[in-house]
Amino acid sequence: MFLSRVCSPMEEPLRCPGMHDLLPEEMERFRQIEEVFCHTCRQWGYQEVRTPTIEHLFLFTAAGTLSAQMLGRVYSFLDWDGWSGERVVLRPDSTIPVARLYIEHMGEAPLAKLFYVQNVFRFTEGEREEWQCGVELLGDTQPLGDVELVLLGREVLSRLGLGPLGVRLSHPGLVRAVLGRTGLSAGEQLRLYDAILEGEQEALAQLRERVPDLAPAVDLMLGEEGQGSNYVRNLRSAFAKALPEISRPLDELEALAETLEALGLMPMVTGAMVRNFEYYTGPVFQLLVGDVVVGGGGRYDALVEVLCGRQVPASGFALYMGRLLPLVTRPPVAAPTVWVEAADGSAATVAVAFQTASILREKGMPAQVALTRGVSRGEPRLVVGPQGMMAFRAGASAGHQVGSVEEALTVLSGGSEG
Amino acid sequence: MIKIALPAGELRRPLSQLLSRVGLEVPGYGDGSRSYRLALGDRAQVRVFRERDIPVQIALGQYHVGICGAVWVEEFLARHPRQEVVKLGALPLAGPTLFLMAAPSTAQTVADLSRLAEPCIVSEFPYLAEALALALRLPRYRIIPVWGGAEVYPPEDADLALALASHEQEVERMGLVPLLAVLEGPPVAIAHRQAMKALDMSWLLSALASLGLSAVSGMRLPPSLAGLGLRARPPAREREVLRVALPDGHQQPHVLGALAEAGLSFPGYAEGERRPLGPRDGIEAKVIRPQDMPQMVALGAFDVAFTGRDCFLEHIYRFPSSPVAVAMDLGKGAFNMSAVVSVDLPAETMEEAVAFWQREGRPLIRIASEFVAIADHYARRRHLWRYRVIPTAGASEGFVPEDADLLIEGTETGRTLAENRLKAIDVLFRSTTCVVVGRHPPGGRRGELLRWFLDALRPVAVAGSATI
Repeated sequence: MFLSRVCSPMEEPLRCPGMHDLLPEEMERFRQIEEVFCHTCRQWGYQEVRTPTIEHLFLFTAAGTLSAQMLGRVYSFLDWDGWSGERVVLRPDSTIPVARLYIEHMGEAPLAKLFYVQNVFRFTEGEREEWQCGVELLGDTQPLGDVELVLLGREVLSRLGLGPLGVRLSHPGLVRAVLGRTGLSAGEQLRLYDAILEGEQEALAQLRERVPDLAPAVDLMLGEEGQGSNYVRNLRSAFAKALPEISRPLDELEALAETLEALGLMPMVTGAMVRNFEYYTGPVFQLLVGDVVVGGGGRYDALVEVLCGRQVPASGFALYMGRLLPLVTRPPVAAPTVWVEAADGSAATVAVAFQTASILREKGMPAQVALTRGVSRGEPRLVVGPQGMMAFRAGASAGHQVGSVEEALTVLSGGSEG
Repeated sequence: MIKIALPAGELRRPLSQLLSRVGLEVPGYGDGSRSYRLALGDRAQVRVFRERDIPVQIALGQYHVGICGAVWVEEFLARHPRQEVVKLGALPLAGPTLFLMAAPSTAQTVADLSRLAEPCIVSEFPYLAEALALALRLPRYRIIPVWGGAEVYPPEDADLALALASHEQEVERMGLVPLLAVLEGPPVAIAHRQAMKALDMSWLLSALASLGLSAVSGMRLPPSLAGLGLRARPPAREREVLRVALPDGHQQPHVLGALAEAGLSFPGYAEGERRPLGPRDGIEAKVIRPQDMPQMVALGAFDVAFTGRDCFLEHIYRFPSSPVAVAMDLGKGAFNMSAVVSVDLPAETMEEAVAFWQREGRPLIRIASEFVAIADHYARRRHLWRYRVIPTAGASEGFVPEDADLLIEGTETGRTLAENRLKAIDVLFRSTTCVVVGRHPPGGRRGELLRWFLDALRPVAVAGSATI
């Protein structure tokens, strides 16, 4: 093949940088997560949707959608009919497309409970395609909606057998309040915020220098985290006088934290958590398995208004498939496949082999025709030919002559032979 | 040996003088030698490129150090932010400034842009325009990339232009308001990152540093225009006037000849006016680059445009659904669009060339072309499998064989090819001057004027050449 010598897998991957193949074993775990997620969402009254991979870029560019940093990493381009100069984008996020879907198709509904499993694309050093299991709740649901989302996310994780589970709460209003006092431009504020989230101590020091009177609030709110509503109340008592803008965010956080505590959960609270999304307006949360953040979301009451001018509060979250996959164990293998082998290559025998496999499947036994020799690897076999059928149990070298498919089924279901 | 990329054009003479001051004399560079390949003694190979090609060549690692206007570096990095380009510093030479400009009726300040529902920005620097639009957080905008002359588009054909000018007064002389100086554009020295790490270029870098390089100022981005939500597009304005786009550059003499034969006069066109008068009432004209015409017709800014078939096909291969068509072929300015290789390549056809590259085990075929969509279309149609199209801004002849294996290039007499030790091994199509119109003809007075105009041209056209 042309150029094959330099394109062998040993030398250079043929896939694009940042793109990931999902192999059969990984797909089994992927489907397991997807099925548990979808099933749980349906039980909670959510309906599945799927949005297109390509959207107009303008959906994501308005202030209050994605941050300028995030927009600098989207896959945007002029598509085949982009002669008008307007760009499209591989969706970098699913919340905005689902909000668009709601506006276009469900705008009259007072409440839309939607979920989806789909991929997003962002230009990063690591994985550039990320699969997400997401939930969006559009309608006036506060504060119950936020509680429901946290509990729904935890239930999915619990059903996947994962633990210990944790919840971390925050509110973008806290960090916006502090950064708003720095006199920095919106872009500079965002860069500083990102640096703080990266754990850069210099960034925190820079922020302290800019707002010396708020230095203790900066240290505690942005550098540390505390437990639940007690911590929220302490922050309010200590800093709301000097920084009254944090009062409302703290009230919202307290309401959510208290309800979760009443449900027996102890959320952690921090001031700095979510990045790159400008659309969050209220409480935001992360779902954790141990120390691993496996999902996150929050309230975005202004997004629908940015897109269509109509006020519709909303909130949502997504579970990150890439983080969950390594944590989930492979689901138990279903009944082993029966390999149906044609004893010879004649058209009549091959036809019988395919018909026999079909009958076995109809009777509930997974069955496939052995397309090449020696592929059964000790699994049950049924050899068909002009001399009749010979059934081999798993691991057996000696077969049983059988007169019908039903009889073969009885033999093959009989377990393995030592 | 170190490979250096230096700019063609107006920078040649001042840059040559500057480099000579620190012992970097490149014979033939300053006096505008037609040769693209020069040398700096026996220490470095020098190749002359159009400015916009230099960041591409440095990023690809085909050249180790390059010098070009800051605006081309920033445009490239805006599109490919993680490319292997290190900015060494700005040279002590004057350069133009990149301005965001608008017609006075559109905006007097940046803040006025919040009044526009969907601003249209025309620029030779589309990725810098994109960065600007994102920084302003314009909720919805359109960017029209053009090959040049962006300042001629506002206000009729765009709201804003992002274009180079010497200073604010020059913008005002164009009849526009300088809203924002986005980028100072002195020439900058850049280097390939890996070459910096591995190759001893210290003598060259010391010499450049002794010129007194200053820090490269990046793009000056404005604060966002807060609180802009999406707004419905304003309804399209129906116009009565027929608008004709006339080309500058190499197409101009051919179009002037055809118009004269058809008895159509555009006073001022031959004299270089950007807005010549029309041949009768109700027809107005503007002179723009031939490369930009199909898109402007597709956008409805013009009803008729004169451009080469090469430019038409470049547009239609890129945007197959674009509502433009060739109304007639004037048969003038003919040349072949050819596949060109080095004379040393033992191949007389494309098949032989591909077979040769196969035998050599080339990792990919490098195709250099000013016509990226045409080159891409050709490579797909000929199943070249793994290839890379290197966009060039012209002067492609110098790319083969060092920097590209194949050129997709317009060839007329073959003399330039021979001078550069090149040969054509395939002809993609024959390009001639065409009249391009929209697929959906206008009605009313404008429709009548269009029919009158095309009827006048028809005797000049090649029979049966229309595609609609």
